[in-house]
Amino acid sequence: MSNEISVEQLLRWRAARAEAEAPPAPRAARLLELARPWWETWPERFQRVVERLGSIQIAYGHAMAEPVEARRSGYPVPTLIVRLREELETSVCVLYLGVRDGRLRLRFQLEKAITHTPETLEATFVAQGFTRPLFSAPAVLSVDNEYRVDCELPEKLARDWKELKVTDRMPFRLILRSDKDGP
Amino acid sequence: MDADEIQTLMQRAATLESNAAAARTAGEEAAADGYFHSALEVAVQAVNRSAAEGSLQVRLNALRATARLSLDCGQVVEARRLIAEASDLDGFREQHEQWAELRDSSAWPDGWLIAAVRRDPPDSAALDELVERYWKTLFGRCLLLTANYEKANDLAQDAWCRVLRARRSLKPGGNFPAYITMIATNLWRDTQRSAKRAGPMAEHRMSSLDAPVVSEEGEMIVLADGLPDLKARESDEHKLLAMDIDRALGQLEPRWRDVLVARFITGESAAEIGRRYGRTEQTVTGWIREAIGQMKVHLEEPAQVAGGET
Repeated sequence: MSNEISVEQLLRWRAARAEAEAPPAPRAARLLELARPWWETWPERFQRVVERLGSIQIAYGHAMAEPVEARRSGYPVPTLIVRLREELETSVCVLYLGVRDGRLRLRFQLEKAITHTPETLEATFVAQGFTRPLFSAPAVLSVDNEYRVDCELPEKLARDWKELKVTDRMPFRLILRSDKDGP
Repeated sequence: MDADEIQTLMQRAATLESNAAAARTAGEEAAADGYFHSALEVAVQAVNRSAAEGSLQVRLNALRATARLSLDCGQVVEARRLIAEASDLDGFREQHEQWAELRDSSAWPDGWLIAAVRRDPPDSAALDELVERYWKTLFGRCLLLTANYEKANDLAQDAWCRVLRARRSLKPGGNFPAYITMIATNLWRDTQRSAKRAGPMAEHRMSSLDAPVVSEEGEMIVLADGLPDLKARESDEHKLLAMDIDRALGQLEPRWRDVLVARFITGESAAEIGRRYGRTEQTVTGWIREAIGQMKVHLEEPAQVAGGET
């Protein structure tokens, strides 16, 4: 029995032991099912939600009245919050948007406060006028009730959105879902 | 003339394959994909010619090159078809060793598995192999981060789901184990950020990050009761020690846990960790020392059990 050991040795030993006691690896079929986007799992619901999203009317008057240089944030983005038993029409205010090296970095705030603000929402980006989603990414709650998205963009979008600025009218609408919500 | 033509096609395919490998090494994945697909097209021509005009040896060589290129392109079904076709030919047995890597997916390099996984639909067998290959390491890392068996399992699975959702952008030439570990670590960090915001001690904990390092002690931990020999066979002492380490890690400020794992398990330098946090190397060195000090304190604390202290 030794009585002296470094933290590094202990951690390495613990990691090796954890590897040895790891549960069986999940099967590919299970992982693919889990990774399947919600709009493929529940296509009818997606269709209904996207129709409702398309019908949200936002008053852009205020945002448009301000000169571009004076605007801190951009146009409101029509948004539908989808929870287990309710859907809430609202908009989000984009506070920051940057596309660099194929990644989207976005910060936004909900215009309407919601009860039990989830720590993570799945943000599904839907192009204006289209019924197919562009992509989805987790939006993580940050300071001051801001949500933050940091994700890799499909190549075409990375090119198309490269010049997009926070003060531009956003080429998408959002569906925000709590991660755990089913259809 | 026909044999020469097949040979020329094979050489062209080999040149394109070599260009593809160079592009992949340089991190130019799109170019690499282009070269591999061009090489495959040329190799398929060689296979077609060899069916009618080549010698058995030439045909086997063409089939093998084409099967390999099919795997480079993620076309597993096609590769298996070519292998099956070759295995029906005389002379296949003599080349058994040369075909072994192609036939056995557990011997495939990560690049082939990833190329197969990023296709639509992904190849399930290749995905199974890739998951199996790195699952234990990933789980081990997740356990150190979460200090909890169930949470570690969930985190490892979530990391895989995240990878699969973005699987089309996977890079066969990249370092896959490092990539999936990074995804899991980022997921865990996101959860910790959220938890920290919600925690009543959040501000206090944040301020401690910039506090002067009080402990200048070395890394060595001395436990009064002694430690079991870590190289010895499994024992109850090992189980208890594992529980103590998990408990100590669980009590550690998440950022301390992160830097310890990054430094000692991932092997990141203090400077690299500092870049990630936007802090100096010296600051991170201080964090590491502080984290070690806290680990020591937590390891020496008696474990809390239901109904009282031990």
